[in-house]
Amino acid sequence: MTALRNYILSFADDEHLMGQQHIEWIGVAPFLEEDLAFSSIGQDELGHAVMLYELVLGIDETEPTDQAIDALAYRRPADHYRSSAFVEFGTTNWAEALVRHWIYDMVEQLRWELVATSSFEPLAIVAQRADREERFHRRHGDALLDTLLHESNTDARTRIVQALDNLAPMLGSLLEPPADEAQIIADGVASASVASLHEAAIAAIDERFGTNLDPSTGTPGDGQRLTRSEAFAPLMSRMCEVLDLDPQAAW
Amino acid sequence: MATYEVFLKKDGKDEFRHAGALDAANAELALVMARESYARRAEGNLMWVVDRNDIVASDESFLQPNADKPHRHHDGKAVAARRKELREKQDNRDARENQS
Repeated sequence: MTALRNYILSFADDEHLMGQQHIEWIGVAPFLEEDLAFSSIGQDELGHAVMLYELVLGIDETEPTDQAIDALAYRRPADHYRSSAFVEFGTTNWAEALVRHWIYDMVEQLRWELVATSSFEPLAIVAQRADREERFHRRHGDALLDTLLHESNTDARTRIVQALDNLAPMLGSLLEPPADEAQIIADGVASASVASLHEAAIAAIDERFGTNLDPSTGTPGDGQRLTRSEAFAPLMSRMCEVLDLDPQAAW
Repeated sequence: MATYEVFLKKDGKDEFRHAGALDAANAELALVMARESYARRAEGNLMWVVDRNDIVASDESFLQPNADKPHRHHDGKAVAARRKELREKQDNRDARENQS
């Protein structure tokens, strides 16, 4: 059970923190409609995180109340999280936020495919539910990137390529398998290792951005997602800013 | 950039209705942004976005009617008044016949 819990938690934590990062753009995205679209996409990711946290609570044999989900989402010690540096990294650079959104959703689709026919049926059901929203997320990222890369001035392209240079090395953290993933695959919960997505991810990035990345760029590490990046603590403190004002308050 | 008008249609026999407008760099971005601005709460299940430049539009003077053509305003008031008058005449006649 620990391997299964760990596996779902790593996906849930990525979804949660990615959603949170997108939502931070509300009010400051480059234009009004994108303000709405990007934070709405962030809410979708939070919705996926809730569905996955509910599965974790099920494994823990804990009633999935709002309080229990909040406790899991916001109140664990840092070393209990299984998120990747890719989603922990905070940025105020819109090009980085956009490129990360595209890469994250491209990888997310591949991760859902790994569990689309999972032997753990509740996970396969969540994968199905997430798929329709993800199709829109990818179309949104593509529409913006198509325009900025092909219909805009060279400044837009330069910024996007720079953002990709900064983010591509972090791809490895997003594709880093949680502990005991081999058991998950043996049990038929996932069809292959998340690390095996690396080649497809690099190919997709090259096609999207017209780059020719070194095939070893962002190679998945073997840290089993056990350590948090430097960006985790500041992100957590932003996320819990209101909660921390009065930890005893009933929400 | 162009301005796009957004129309939504709900399920069933409802017609497309104007939902709003937005500026976008191209049609695909207009569609993607309109979805989140106007339809993220399932306000419709079909959507059109139309470049405002593609709308064949009139100006006000083209539509201004002449004031002296009341026969085109067949709002039914004249007919209703005539019917009421006839109905009352008939009622009066009936009343007289009942008295005699």
